[in-house]
Amino acid sequence: MHYSHTIKISSLKYSYREETAFPVLNGIDLTSGENEYILLCGASGSGKSTLCRTFNGLIPHFYGGSLEGYVRIAGVDTTIRTVGDMLELVGMVFQNPEAQLFCSTVEHEIAFGLESLGLAPSEIKSRVKRAAEKLSIADLLHRNPHTLSDGEKQLVAIAAATALSPKLIVLDEPYANLDPSNVQGVRCALKEIRRQGVCIVIAEHRLHYTLPDVDRVAVIHNGRIVIDTPPALLLPRYVKEYGLEFPLYGPREEKIEIPGPPPGAETVLSVENISFSRNGTSLLKDISFTLRKGECIAVLGANGAGKTTLLKHINGLYRPDKGKITLMELDTSQKKIPELARYAGIAFQNPDSQFFKLNVRDEISAGADALNCYDEKWINSLVDLFGLEKLLKRAPYRLSGGEKKRVAFASALAAKPAVLALDEPTAGQDARFRSALSGFLSELTAEGIAVLLVTHDLLFAKQNAHRFLLMAKGKIISEGTPGKVISDKTAMRLAGLLPAERMKDDA
Amino acid sequence: MTLDPRTKLLLSVFYVILVVFSYELLPLLFEWVFILLLILIAGKTKEHLRWFKAVAPMAIFFGAVVWWSSDGKSAFIAGFKLVNIASVFFAFFTSTSPEDLGNALVKAGMPYPVAFVMSVSLQFVPVMARKAGNVLDAQRSRGIPIGPGLKAVRYFHVLLVPVLIQSIRLAEELAEAMESRGFGRPGRTFLKDYKMRPADWIAVFTGMLLLAAFFLLRQS
Repeated sequence: MHYSHTIKISSLKYSYREETAFPVLNGIDLTSGENEYILLCGASGSGKSTLCRTFNGLIPHFYGGSLEGYVRIAGVDTTIRTVGDMLELVGMVFQNPEAQLFCSTVEHEIAFGLESLGLAPSEIKSRVKRAAEKLSIADLLHRNPHTLSDGEKQLVAIAAATALSPKLIVLDEPYANLDPSNVQGVRCALKEIRRQGVCIVIAEHRLHYTLPDVDRVAVIHNGRIVIDTPPALLLPRYVKEYGLEFPLYGPREEKIEIPGPPPGAETVLSVENISFSRNGTSLLKDISFTLRKGECIAVLGANGAGKTTLLKHINGLYRPDKGKITLMELDTSQKKIPELARYAGIAFQNPDSQFFKLNVRDEISAGADALNCYDEKWINSLVDLFGLEKLLKRAPYRLSGGEKKRVAFASALAAKPAVLALDEPTAGQDARFRSALSGFLSELTAEGIAVLLVTHDLLFAKQNAHRFLLMAKGKIISEGTPGKVISDKTAMRLAGLLPAERMKDDA
Repeated sequence: MTLDPRTKLLLSVFYVILVVFSYELLPLLFEWVFILLLILIAGKTKEHLRWFKAVAPMAIFFGAVVWWSSDGKSAFIAGFKLVNIASVFFAFFTSTSPEDLGNALVKAGMPYPVAFVMSVSLQFVPVMARKAGNVLDAQRSRGIPIGPGLKAVRYFHVLLVPVLIQSIRLAEELAEAMESRGFGRPGRTFLKDYKMRPADWIAVFTGMLLLAAFFLLRQS
């Protein structure tokens, strides 16, 4: 079929339900040539993911709703053809690595789309092999996808799409759950695909990972593309206006060393030489550190470095094989979890893991109720701090991702603990959320709450933590002020945290 | 070379029939040793040991129930039968991938969506187990006393609600991913060609003969 644009979207309007007055997409126009690499960015809720789903017809065919205008990919109108028909033209890669792989081996996974096309087994085999080799994952072909790292899972999802030789690959926040070294791997893979003449559309919040790679940036705001420009011309003022990530081309960030608590601040958590192993694998080796009142420590490292395992030790979810943990002068080995939960609140990465009440208000106070330490005044102040007044009567699992996180933070603090631990709080969140979270953290530390920030998000850690603990393979390999740890290049490389592009030169 | 998944399924069914109709210790022991040998040849003894440890309490419980209603010997035989059947399940599932099973069943006439749902559900058992573990951790961190013990019953919804909501969400996301990869497209082929080779027919035939011989011998 003859066509002049790989993507041609014209006055596209869409709403998920017919009756809503405000369409999610409100007049999108976008065209692209054959081999372009386009970044879609914008705050959460701006319509990025929705737009992504129109490229292969998931919208409107899978989601329903009402749509005006048209989307043509390689000359084919996706609003008329079915999702299955678009298979050879558009490959989709989603945000959640876990929920897009469903076969027992990587080989079957990559083969799935080719099987859908109805190709002969010999042809399928050779195309699976080629696709895997191009992304350097041929050694994973016989592994079970669920045993892979999140970065590897994303590569498999990309290979499953490229095996069909589509004209366009669409990725919806592929980096949201990945640590820096995995992001690098996926970035390289995308550049390779790009070289083969495939058009790429990537929706992402994390601009510092994407801007250096793309040809064009389209900024979405309230369902419209408000800016469409080469990355070099993306002005700093847009960043603030449209809720994008940190200023990129503004004056270089001065070296911030946030003053920590006064030297005499009391120790609330002390971890002494703990080691822990499970099923014969050693997960933590000889970890020691102390956390003081009002202090914020960032525990940094790649996925699998043992950060979350360490976190689970502070309230007794895991018990160390060796060593000792003291929380508010209590020896944790002598105490049960509920007793420790009074003093240490943990908000895990996925807030959906804890929501079971019908409204936000009950959800926040559930822990405090169970611990018999409900304090109305304190709960109200948490509602204030996290800006939850308007959400109190809503069902927690119906909130947006950022709102859910805020509810989870408030609920972790409900018992007024001395220590708050946050596990990857920024994963998949936009710049607005990140700057709001920075504000919460400084208010909490000012009140004397000690914060343990577990993350692989170096930028965020640098802006909020007084001290860094850098972990790799279950060990602390470097610690101290952020500046000191970041300048320890050997350790940073070992931890898989290559400094992000724009931090490279000032490190 | 390995047998076709359909052959393996059929042989496993024969084996289960054989076990169900064995009422004496000796034939059961003989059958079990046979399966253990197969597992040994396949080099899966270690995994089987782990499986056995998981199954043993169930077999003991089952045996105890039988003992309560009849005698010790029947109890032992009943428990042993369970172990036997569990072992053949183990042998079948470790040697056959869910896709192979599903695809082979499609070839044998089962509708594709049914076979597919079956094989995908098997994939996601460990994923859901991990999610349930995360829920437990999150709730216990908030001081909600969910865990072993009587109190757990009172707080069961604390585990159930998040797990259910997450599985519904996971199912939606998966459906979207599958759709995007052409799940519903007609004319699907398979990576592997499933063919009954001579070895398959010989295996099935031998199995039938043995089964027939067993019943004839039992009659006499």
